[in-house]
Amino acid sequence: MTTTAINPSQIPSSTRMSKITQSIKGLVLSPRWLFLFVFIFIWNTYAVYRHSRLIPTPLKVGTTMVQILTSGIFFEQLAASMTRILIGFSLAMVVGIIIGILMGSRKSYDQFFKALVIMGLALPGLIYALICVMFFGISILAPVTAILAGSYPFVVVNVAEGVKSLDKDLIDMSRSYKIGRGKIVRQVILPSLLPFILAAIRNGFAVAWKICTLVEVFGAVSGVGYMIKSSFDQYAVFGIVAWALLFGGVMLVIEYGLLVPAERYLARWRPKVKQVV
Amino acid sequence: MATTAVSVQDLVKNFGDLRVLDKVSFDVEESSLTTIVGFSGCGKSTLLNVLAGIEPITSGKAEVVSSKNRSARLGYVFQSPRLLPWLTIEQNLVFVRPEGVDETTHLERAKKYLEMVGLKNARNKYPYQLSGGMQQRAGIARALCIEPAVLLMDEPFSHLDEITAGAMREEMLRIWQETHRTILFVTHDMQEAVELGDRLIMLDYHGRIFVDIKIDLPRPRSLTDRVFINFYSDVVKHLQKMQSIRAEELAALGVN
Amino acid sequence: MSVMTDVSPTSLPITTTRRFARSIKRLIFHKGWLAVLMVLVIWQIISFFLGGHGLVPSPARTFATIWEVLVTGEFFVQLGDSLVRLLIGFSLAMAMGMIVGVLMGSRWFWNEFFKDIVILGLSLPGLVYALLSVVIFGTKLLAPVMAILFASYPFIAVNMREGVKALDKDILDMSRAYKVGKWKVVKQVILPALLPHILAAIRTGFTIAWKASVLTEVFGATSGIGYMIRFNFQMFAVRGILAWSLLFGCVMLIIEYGILIPAERYFARWRPHLSEEVI
Repeated sequence: MTTTAINPSQIPSSTRMSKITQSIKGLVLSPRWLFLFVFIFIWNTYAVYRHSRLIPTPLKVGTTMVQILTSGIFFEQLAASMTRILIGFSLAMVVGIIIGILMGSRKSYDQFFKALVIMGLALPGLIYALICVMFFGISILAPVTAILAGSYPFVVVNVAEGVKSLDKDLIDMSRSYKIGRGKIVRQVILPSLLPFILAAIRNGFAVAWKICTLVEVFGAVSGVGYMIKSSFDQYAVFGIVAWALLFGGVMLVIEYGLLVPAERYLARWRPKVKQVV
Repeated sequence: MATTAVSVQDLVKNFGDLRVLDKVSFDVEESSLTTIVGFSGCGKSTLLNVLAGIEPITSGKAEVVSSKNRSARLGYVFQSPRLLPWLTIEQNLVFVRPEGVDETTHLERAKKYLEMVGLKNARNKYPYQLSGGMQQRAGIARALCIEPAVLLMDEPFSHLDEITAGAMREEMLRIWQETHRTILFVTHDMQEAVELGDRLIMLDYHGRIFVDIKIDLPRPRSLTDRVFINFYSDVVKHLQKMQSIRAEELAALGVN
Repeated sequence: MSVMTDVSPTSLPITTTRRFARSIKRLIFHKGWLAVLMVLVIWQIISFFLGGHGLVPSPARTFATIWEVLVTGEFFVQLGDSLVRLLIGFSLAMAMGMIVGVLMGSRWFWNEFFKDIVILGLSLPGLVYALLSVVIFGTKLLAPVMAILFASYPFIAVNMREGVKALDKDILDMSRAYKVGKWKVVKQVILPALLPHILAAIRTGFTIAWKASVLTEVFGATSGIGYMIRFNFQMFAVRGILAWSLLFGCVMLIIEYGILIPAERYFARWRPHLSEEVI
């Protein structure tokens, strides 16, 4: 009997090698380097031409970034921001998962929470940030509350969808084989929820760090947002760009170094579907 | 001496106002293959669900009878394979390990039945990597590996193409003759029912038993066999009678 | 013995007015109002206990402020300023996003060429665009327009790219085989296929656009919703911030749920499933 798809562990190692070299080749010969070159070139030309504090050269931004990294100040501020994000987002996950499960299981809960969730999704992080700064000042409660309020709706939406799409057939099958409740939860329900929880983390975390940065801009004395704000106050564009790129870099590392591989591992039992980005 | 494997007495099942099973009674002999037919949407699948404990009974009794040398386990093969997609085929069989059976024994049985259905090389594959027919076979192996007293099968081949289905029917008969399990086989395909069963139970539009006949023909049965054709046409006559009774009922209602 | 007869719950014809009336009825009796009520009650209680410092205004006083802002017309003046910037910026973002997206969807070269900057653009927070625009472009119209442009064009681009990639080559080949005129193909094959993606692009792009716009106004503008919010923030007027935010939030909700999402659902109704969120 022929199989319908290829199991990666069954590909002979010689073809696997050539697949790896193929992807390396694709990486090196990509037009993206052309873009990078053109972009830097135009940027630099314009910056030199304008010769203004407001338009720094790529070199200036680059050296600033290196400075920030090597002086250790990046990790200091990053740690401050990360702590807030992690605390706030963990709380958002707890609240979001509870409400999401409720909303996904019964129509009445779905209706009850729906308005709040929609409003939560629509309000910009700015509002949460400003209100929490006004209430809590520079205490850590400000970013934590803002993150909690701003990102829990994203968790709710994803978890609710996961609960709604639970396959009743599989649960019936398990019951017909007299599988115990705990085992059903662990081996049937949880694995089918996992992709949705991952989506919740991706969406929610993205919102969380954006809100955290906003809170730090308006009311903090440490953190990446605060550093960006001080650059802003000094009209130091190179500072803003440097910090933004560094922080963006960290987020991209988390996304592509952690979340995407995690998703790929969790989805290894799925027929291969195209990814969007 | 023939022992009873399944006992159904005056079983009634309602879904709200709709009565799907109406005082159904029959006993199933051990090691027999009983086919249950009826049009789509009548209580055939519900009957199996009730026996499996997935649906509650409205009144009456439906149970798998246990005896000293086997417990009342049942294996259910569904229309669609219903395999857990995140587990390999072998892990899917391990998932249904019954209480009281230790892991090593169960794993050995799993391997044995996977081989019996011809899936020895597919043990470590994920369901999506297998064709529909192979997935369905995995479902059958899963039902068998718990060594059940009774095997419930709900139109297991209806979603497969005719060639694969035919091969699967032969396979199933072979396995049945090897393992001597009691099988309750539900189908809407009359020919399949007559081809496979020792006994045929036909349910009518009201969820009652319309016909309950023994089929004593030797196997393998095929449409090239005169005796089989005669028997089959008798059964079809029953079906037509049921349909005409129904038409009269509907006409009577239409007038009212 | 029970018989299933086929009786539908409403034997009345489903006219448009009846459908409208039914959705109004569903809106009024929605359980969501319970949740809103609960929030208001909790808010009232909190403001009662903490209200002494003016830190937590009661719902009543907040709504009074909202009413004031609406009735004096001030809301609409500021909203007008914000909307002008939003529309200009968003139109530019649509133009740029469509060009980049279509290019990326049609040729591997352009996809590779732009993909890094688009991904970067998607991940940077609106804050960064806002701050940079204010510093570089000052406090005139250019700042919010630029911020909106760069913050939202990636979302447009990604959706357009998906739309172009999804164009069914088989149908295009078929049209060529039947020698269908080029403009006809564009009008009747390509545009309808792209429409749901264009609408998804508008919806996701618009969300980020107004957020970037408000942020820019907060940091460097002399009018507009964002300016009013910053003004209230500096005066530590919690009531004011709440009032302006809620009002603006409502306007955006009306636009998103009243116009954009129904439009998308209508134009995408021939699809088996709704377009995916590209965020």
